[in-house]
Formats: sequence, structure tokens, C-alpha cells
Amino acid sequence: MTVTRLRLASVMPLLVLAGLCVAISIAEPRFLSIDNLIRIAAASAAPLVLALGATFVILMGSIDLSVEGSMAFASAILAACVANANGAGLDLGLAALPLVIAAAALFGALIGVIHTYLRVPSFMASLGMGFVGLGIATIMLGGERVGIVDESIRALALTRILNLPISIYVATFMLALAWVIQNHTRIGRRMLALGGAEQLVVASGVNVRHVRILVFAIAGAFFGVGAVLASARLGASSALVGSGQLFTAISAVVVGGTALTGGSGGVLATLLGVLIVMVLNNGMVILGLPTFVQQGVLGIMIIIAVLLNQPIRGLAVAK
Amino acid sequence: MTKFAGTIPWLGLIAAILIVAAFDASFLRPMTLIGLFSDSATLFLMALGMTWVIYIGSIDLSLQAVAAVSSVILALLIPQYGMVAIAVALVAGVLFGLVSGFVHGVLKLPSFIATLAVGGIAATAALALSGERSIQIDATPRTDSLSWAIGRTLDIPNEIWVSLIVLALAMVIEQMTPFGKAMKALGSGEPAARIAGIRIQRTKLIVFMFAGLFAALSGVVLAGRLSSGSPTIANEFLLPAIAAVVLGGTSLAGGSGGVLRTLVGTLLIVVARTGMTFIGINALAQQIVFGLVLIAAVSLSAGRAQKGIMK
Repeated sequence: MTVTRLRLASVMPLLVLAGLCVAISIAEPRFLSIDNLIRIAAASAAPLVLALGATFVILMGSIDLSVEGSMAFASAILAACVANANGAGLDLGLAALPLVIAAAALFGALIGVIHTYLRVPSFMASLGMGFVGLGIATIMLGGERVGIVDESIRALALTRILNLPISIYVATFMLALAWVIQNHTRIGRRMLALGGAEQLVVASGVNVRHVRILVFAIAGAFFGVGAVLASARLGASSALVGSGQLFTAISAVVVGGTALTGGSGGVLATLLGVLIVMVLNNGMVILGLPTFVQQGVLGIMIIIAVLLNQPIRGLAVAK
Repeated sequence: MTKFAGTIPWLGLIAAILIVAAFDASFLRPMTLIGLFSDSATLFLMALGMTWVIYIGSIDLSLQAVAAVSSVILALLIPQYGMVAIAVALVAGVLFGLVSGFVHGVLKLPSFIATLAVGGIAATAALALSGERSIQIDATPRTDSLSWAIGRTLDIPNEIWVSLIVLALAMVIEQMTPFGKAMKALGSGEPAARIAGIRIQRTKLIVFMFAGLFAALSGVVLAGRLSSGSPTIANEFLLPAIAAVVLGGTSLAGGSGGVLRTLVGTLLIVVARTGMTFIGINALAQQIVFGLVLIAAVSLSAGRAQKGIMK
């Protein structure tokens, strides 16, 4: 029984994605036009990078609800480091990116420290810090939306190479990076081990706290990159730059097939999940359905996906 | 230590009131305080629902969307159906709670993901029903059907009476019924509660249904106060509601705390918020303080949590 469920769970996201594409293109052939496919890819760039960050945290059995706050924080740092509409930015150009990513990684590490050393459950630590990030961004930006005028940052969303926006290349690079981290680094293996069997990891002498903090920091760095892409697309920095991204990121990870209990799934599953979410979104737009229906559909898909991915008796205590 | 734990939030509340009063003595006037407490009634009602959810060791991230749905339902139905609209709005809240409780309790999804998903469904329902806009409630139906919530009795705003009555009922349920005992057992330790013969699934269902009911009531009172129902009406409520519960002393690890503590927690939040506004801290920036306070309160109260659930 369990075996069939698992097999079904691993093929399911692919079937859902294929089914969605077929259904939408039958209803509206324009869906398959090159322009539209590029549009989907461009719209998926930031959500993919964000969902990859969330994937790492979920793989080790924790959760990060700080996506929107971390993005707001990173976006505000970005505005402070590049030429902005207020004229107060440092004008560092692309040199701002390492700073933004480092700041976002530190923010993530802080969540990890609170989670591990103060023993606050990760959903609460990240929820609280998410609001802290929103607050900091609000103060830094004076509660307003600050336009980003730096050409090199805007170019991430506007300039095209081979007819594809640069953001797509960035997202692809981050996907490759995430895959390497997951499969070919020590932290990647420990992260998966932690999600699969924490006691064994502890018993083998690994400092679990350091692993958790590092994973939260890596996730934070990914949220930072996602925030840069989202700000470039928006052409501005805003405390609300990540609005709605938490729901999208978590549902993409879960719908893609990564188990919330940790240890199974991964970055490629998340790619599928993001595509499902974004194809659904695009399909609703071109079919003329109101986009807010998406949240409801995703809500139902989250529940089904989590059900398919969790062992039947494993979660006797579901907190 | 545990003996005094219950009094710390009360002392904190008195200290907070005195600090704010030191900046502006007019804060201590009865009318100011009464006004403050009536403004906090909607937050308190939502926090009440959150209390039992946290008390049994779960979380409900859907409550602000549930409050929004019921405010929209109320605003849509009240011109024609009057008081019946209130009943429908409350039933809708209970139903969303039932779905959350079912997904969490019976299907065994972790509560944060179950309620995140149900919250998405509720938000969609609110947007669809309202056509993505705010719906006005005219003066006549408002005075006819909602005066119990927004008028004054004995010179005290009815929001306060409603809060106190609901609080009294909730205390009776929590302290004097088998359901209350079942909640406590469940929060203290689910495996032990199961062995003791507590019906876990039924208890969880009822807890989430109450959370939905209180959130819906919060949405109804909010719609009455603002003369409108809207899909975004309760958007800033989730963090303060969780913070009110945790700050009052209900432990996230479950099993200790209760609705009376949430009253103190809510008052603390509201006084702190007023104080920060006095000093001139922007409402959105206040989230920094609430976020940190939330983490601090959880880390101080989580001492007895088993390591197993600290994911």
C-alpha cells in the first residue's frame, strides 16, 4: 500500500503538470505560443528561486514562514545599495548583489539561531522574524515604494538574451546551484539526513544546530536572490515586494512532492511544483478567470499533495 | 515559578499602562481606557479562538481569512435578512473551522499547513463573494441588526459587553466541561490523552470549529464597526492575535494557559500599540516589536517542550 502511494506521489506532479497543460491548451490554443511560454518562464523565475530556498528548510523537516519578510528586508537593502528614486542609494550597481545576498543569508541564519538556541519551533521563529523583516523594510523605505533606477538591476528583468529575460538564466543557475548543494555537498546530505532521521544524525556526532542554522542561512540567501529578481521585475523596492509569495512558495514545494516531514523530495520536485503553480496562474489569466481563484485551487492541491506524500501512520502526533 | 507565571502578564500590563501614562497622563482617564478596550474587542475575539488551538499545541493561520469571509457574507445578506445574516456568517466561520479541523485532526496534516491551505480557500471565497471590493452596510440595517455589537449599554460600548460575555462562556467551557478537560489532556500530551480514552479527533474538530466561530464573530463585529464587509478587513490581525495568546502565557507546547490569559495578552498588545503610537512609531514598523516579543514569549515559555516537536 505504502509503496503504491509513494510511487503515485512521485509521478503525480508530472501528471498534474501535463494534464494542466493539455487541458489549458485545448481550451485556449494561444497557451502554447512561444511568447506565452516565455511569459510563464519569466514569471516563474522569482517564485522558483524562493521555492528552492523553502525546499531546503522543508527537506530537513522544518518550515520557513518568513519568505515575505525576508524578501522585504532584502529588497530594502537592495534599494539602499543601488541608485534609487530617492537619490539616497549608494549606487553600487551589480556590486550590491553580494551585499544583499549576504544580508539575506544573515537574516536567515538569525532565524536558525532563534530556532535552535532559543528552542522556538521553526514556524514560530520564522513567522516572528518575517514580521520583523517587514517592519525593518517599512522603516528603511519610509513606508513607501522606492523606485530602482539602477540600469544593471533593472536589466535583470528587462534585457533579453536569445529572446529570454536574464532573470530566467539567473533562476536556471540557482536551480543548478541548489541541485549541487542538495546532492554533492556535505551540508546537502546532512540536511536530507536530518529530515529523514534526526536521532541518527545526532548519534553520528554531527552538530545538528550548526546544520540547521546553515540551512536557514542558505534559504535566506535564496530568498535574497528571489527578492532581487522580484524587485527588478517590479522596478521598485517595497516592503510588500513579497506579497503572496509565501503561499506560492510553500504550495510549489508541497505540490511538487517534497514531504513536510522532511527527508524526501528535492529541488527538481520543486521545479515541477513551481511550474504547476505558474501554469495554473497563466491558464487562469488567458482563460479569463479571476486570478484569486488560484489561491483556493492551490489550497485544495496543497492538502491533496501533503496527503499523498505522508506516510499513513508516521504522523501519529501531528502538531 | 509556575505558581507565579500566571501573574507575570498582569504585572506587565500594569507596568505598561503606567509607562504609557507617564508619557500622557490623560491615558489613565476611564473614558480613554474604555475606548481602548472596545477598540481591542475584535482582536480579542479572534485571539480567543486562537487560544484553544494553541492550547492543544496546534496553530491556525486561516483565522483572518475566515473573519474576512464572514464580514463579506454579513454585508451581502444583511440588507435582506437582518439578524439571519449574522447567523449565516457565524455558521460559515464554523464550517471553515470544521474543514481545518478535519484536515488537521482526521487527515493528520500538520496544523500550520492545513490552515494555510484552508486560509487560501477562505480568502478565495471572500474575494469571489465580494467581487474583490468592500461592501457597504447601510445605516438602517446596521442599527437594526448590529446595535448589540456597536451601541452602548450603561454607558459602556457593547463591544466590551460582547467580549466579556463570550469570555465568560469560554471560561465555563474551558474550566467546567468534559470538553475543556479533553483539551487540557490533548495539549499536555497526545499519546497519553489517547491512551486515557480522550477522543482526539472529535476534540480537535470542536476546537477548530470554535476558532472559526470566534473568528467569524470577530469579523461580524468588525464589519459593524466599519460599516462594511471586505476581503481584506482582518489582514493585520493574525500576528497580534497569536502574540496576544502567547504573551498572555498560553504555551505553544500546549496544555497550559487559557482564555483568561488571552484577555491579559490582548490588553498588553493594545496598550503597547497605543504607547508606540504615542512615541510615534509607524503601525507597520510596530511589527518588529511584536515579532520579537512573540519569539521572546515563546522561547521563555517553551522550557517544558519535548525536543521531538521542536521542528
